[in-house]
Amino acid sequence: MSAVRAFVVPVLRRLTLLVALLAIVLVAVDLLPGNAARSALGRDADQAELLAKERELGLDRAVPIQFWHWFCGVLTGDFGQTARGTSIGALLADKFPQTLLLGGIALVLTVVLSLALGCWWAMRPDAVGARALQPATTVSVAVPEFVCGTLLILVFSLATGLLPAVTLTGPSGFPAGPEMLILPVLALAIPQIGWNTRIVRSALLDVATAPHVESAVLEGLPPRSVLLRHLLPFAVPTIVAGYATSVGMLFGGALVVETLFNYPGVGAVLAGSVADRDTATVAAVVALTAIVIMVLLAAADFARTWATRGAR
Amino acid sequence: MGITRRQLLQSGIGVTALLLAAACASEDDAGTTQRGGTLRVGALGTAARIERDPHGNLSNDSDFLIASLVYDALTVPGADPTVAPRLATHWEADADNRRWTFTIAEGARFHNGAPVTAEDVVWSMRRLRSVGGASKMPVAADDITADGPNRVVFTVPESNTQLPLLLRLMTFTVPQGTTDFTAAIGTGPFRLESFQGGTARLVRNEHWHGAPPLLDAIEVTMFDSVTALGNAAIGGQIDLASNVGAIAGRTAAGRADLQVVRRPNDTMVGVAMRTADGPFADARVRTALRLGVDRTALVNQVHSGFGTVAADILGTADPAYDTALARRDRDVERAKTLLREAGFDTGRSYPFVTKAEVAGEVESAKVVATQLAEIGVRLDVQVVEPAAFYDQTWLTAPLYTVSWGTNDSVVFFAEKLMSSGTNRNETAFHDAEFDAAIARALAASGAEYLQACEEIQRIQFERGGYLVWGMADGVDIAAASVRGLPTLGGFARVQLERAWLA
Repeated sequence: MSAVRAFVVPVLRRLTLLVALLAIVLVAVDLLPGNAARSALGRDADQAELLAKERELGLDRAVPIQFWHWFCGVLTGDFGQTARGTSIGALLADKFPQTLLLGGIALVLTVVLSLALGCWWAMRPDAVGARALQPATTVSVAVPEFVCGTLLILVFSLATGLLPAVTLTGPSGFPAGPEMLILPVLALAIPQIGWNTRIVRSALLDVATAPHVESAVLEGLPPRSVLLRHLLPFAVPTIVAGYATSVGMLFGGALVVETLFNYPGVGAVLAGSVADRDTATVAAVVALTAIVIMVLLAAADFARTWATRGAR
Repeated sequence: MGITRRQLLQSGIGVTALLLAAACASEDDAGTTQRGGTLRVGALGTAARIERDPHGNLSNDSDFLIASLVYDALTVPGADPTVAPRLATHWEADADNRRWTFTIAEGARFHNGAPVTAEDVVWSMRRLRSVGGASKMPVAADDITADGPNRVVFTVPESNTQLPLLLRLMTFTVPQGTTDFTAAIGTGPFRLESFQGGTARLVRNEHWHGAPPLLDAIEVTMFDSVTALGNAAIGGQIDLASNVGAIAGRTAAGRADLQVVRRPNDTMVGVAMRTADGPFADARVRTALRLGVDRTALVNQVHSGFGTVAADILGTADPAYDTALARRDRDVERAKTLLREAGFDTGRSYPFVTKAEVAGEVESAKVVATQLAEIGVRLDVQVVEPAAFYDQTWLTAPLYTVSWGTNDSVVFFAEKLMSSGTNRNETAFHDAEFDAAIARALAASGAEYLQACEEIQRIQFERGGYLVWGMADGVDIAAASVRGLPTLGGFARVQLERAWLA
C-alpha cells in the first residue's frame, strides 16, 4: 500500500500534468499568428489551395476537437502526420534516439564528474585544485550552453583544429564519428557539472556537521570510509534532487546545442515545427521529451525514497 | 537566341573548358578538368520541412539541391538567354505564343534504365500542377499533352512568351505513375545512393543524356543554421557551403584555403509600399521615399558589401534590364519637397513591418528607417515572425519589407507581383498602362518584346510600389580545390553537375 502511495500516485499526478501541459502547448501554438497550411504550401499557394489544405489537416475544427483527435491517436501509438504529410512517428524515430544519446552521455558525464569533483572539494578544501573550483563552477553555471558551445568551437575547432566544429551525419543517421560527439556533450554538460559540483559539495558539508559524522571522525576512521559510509548516503537525497533538475536543463539545452553543432536531433524538428505552426508535431516532440524527463524524475524520486528509507 | 549552353557542352571538352572559363571568374587552369572525387556540400534545411516529393513544396535548400541533381527539369536557368535546355533540348511556339512544343533530349533515360517518354513528362507535369498548384505549373492539366514519343505540348489560354522560363526549376520528370519517392528514380546527372534525415549521398549517372559529370559523388549534408554551415566549411569538414551568406563570406575572404563565390543578383531585399490606398498611395510620396534612401550605404551595411545597388525595378539580372534608366541617387531636398507637395503628414510615425526571413532583411528595415528619418518620414520598425507576417501583413499592410530570389526576368516579376490580376500583388498596384505593357511583352517577340520590357520598367521606375535599393549576392564558400561552381544568381546555385575537384 505504501508502495502505491509512493510511486503510483506521483506517476498519475505527473501524467495528468502532462496532458494539461500538452493542451496548453497546443492552445499556445494555435494562438500564435500564422497558419500551418500556408507554411506547408509556401507563399505561392492561392486561397483555394489553402482552404483545401486546412480541411485536410483538420484546422477548420475547434482546437479542443483537434486536441482530442490527436490525443486518441497517440493512445493508439499513432502520432499522425506533419503538415507536409510525412509520418511524425517516423520523423521522431529518425531523430529522437540521437537526442537521447547526446543528453544521456551528458547526464552520465555530469553525474560522474560532479560527484568526483564535489567530494574532492569537500574533503580537501585547501588543495590548489579545489580552490580553483570556486570560481570555475561559478563561471560554468553562469555561462549558457550556446556561449559555452561557441567558445568550445572557437578554441578546439577553428583555432586549433583538434575537433570537428559541426556534426556530420553518417548513413545510420547518427554522427559519422565519435569525435563529433565530444564538443556537443561538453557544451551541454559543463554548465550542469558546475551546478551539481556545488550541490554535492554543500550537501556533504551539511551532513559533515551531523553528530554521527563527528564521532566517526573522532574514532579515527580513514576519510574515505567517512565519505562513503557516513557522508554520502545522507547527502544522496539532496544530490539526486540536483540531478533531477539537471535532466530538464539537459534536454532544454540539447535543443540549443543541436542547432549550434548541427547535431541531427529532435531540436531542429521542434524549432521548425513551431515556426511552421505544425501543432501535431510540436505536441509529439513535447510529449516524448516530457515522458523521458518524467521517467528520469521518477527514477530520482525512487532513489531519494530508497536513500531516506532509514529515516522513516 | 544564339548558341545555347547545351550546344556548347555537346561540342566537346575544349569548348566546355571555354565555357567554364567564361562562367567562373576565379578559374585559373580551366584547360584540364579532372575526373573523380567526392564533393561534400552543406546546404540549409530543417528536419521538420524535409520533402522527398520533387513536386512538393521544397522549402529546404538541401532538398532542392538533391532533387535538382537527381531529377531533370525541362529547362534550367542560364545567363543570356536566361533559359537553358535540360530535359528539353529545344522548344518552339506557334505564331501567337500560345501553343508551345518541347522536345525531350535524345537518349534521356531514367536511373533504372527505362527511356523517358512523352507520357512520363505529361504525367509528371500534370502531377506537378495538382500537387504544386498554378505557381509551379502555369498550364492546366488538360492542356499538357503528348505529341508523338518525344514531344510535349503546353497550351495556354493567352499568349505567353515566358513559358520556357516558367518551366525552369520545378518541372522534374519522374516515371509515369510514381507516388513513392524514396527510391528517387530520376533522369538527372546523379543517382541517389542513400538518404537519411535530410542528408544524402549521390553518385554519378554515367548514362546521363548530357555530358557526364566529372565528380564520382556528391554528399549533401543538411544544416539547420548558417553559423554551423560556415563553421563546417571553415573547419574543412565540407568542400562547399551553399548559400552561406555574407558574414561567412567575409570570414572566408582572408583565407588561402578557401574561395568565396559571389553570385550576383541572387536575392532582392526591398520595401513594398501600398499604392492603392493609405499613406503611400500618392506616387510623389513613393518617389520621395525612394529618393530618401542611400542605396550604397544600404548595400554596404546590410549585405556587408556583397551586393549591388538597384533602382526600384525588379529583375536586375534580365538581359533586358534597362541600366540606362535604372539609376536613382539620394536627394534629400527633392524628397522633402515632394512630401510637402503631396501633403504627407510628417507629424506621425508609420508602422514598417519586417521579418527575419532572408539574411539582412530586419537590418535593412532599421537602416531604411534611420535614413528616411532625414527626410522627415518617421517609421516604426516592427519585427514579426515569418508565419505571422504571411498571415497578417503580406498583401495588406501599407509598408513592409519583401524578398525575392531568381531576379532574372523583368516580365516575370511584373506579371506575378504587379499586374492587376495577380494574387501576389504586394503593393496593390493597379495600372492599366502597365497591364497593357505586360500583355504586349507576353505576346510579342523581338524588338516589340524589348520595347514592352522598357515600358514595364519605366512605369515601375516612375510610379511603382517597390523600393528596390539593392541586390544581395549569393555567397558560397568553397575549398580552394573546387572548380566549375555555378556563378549565376538565384536557384542556379543548385547546378553542381559541372563541378570538379582539382
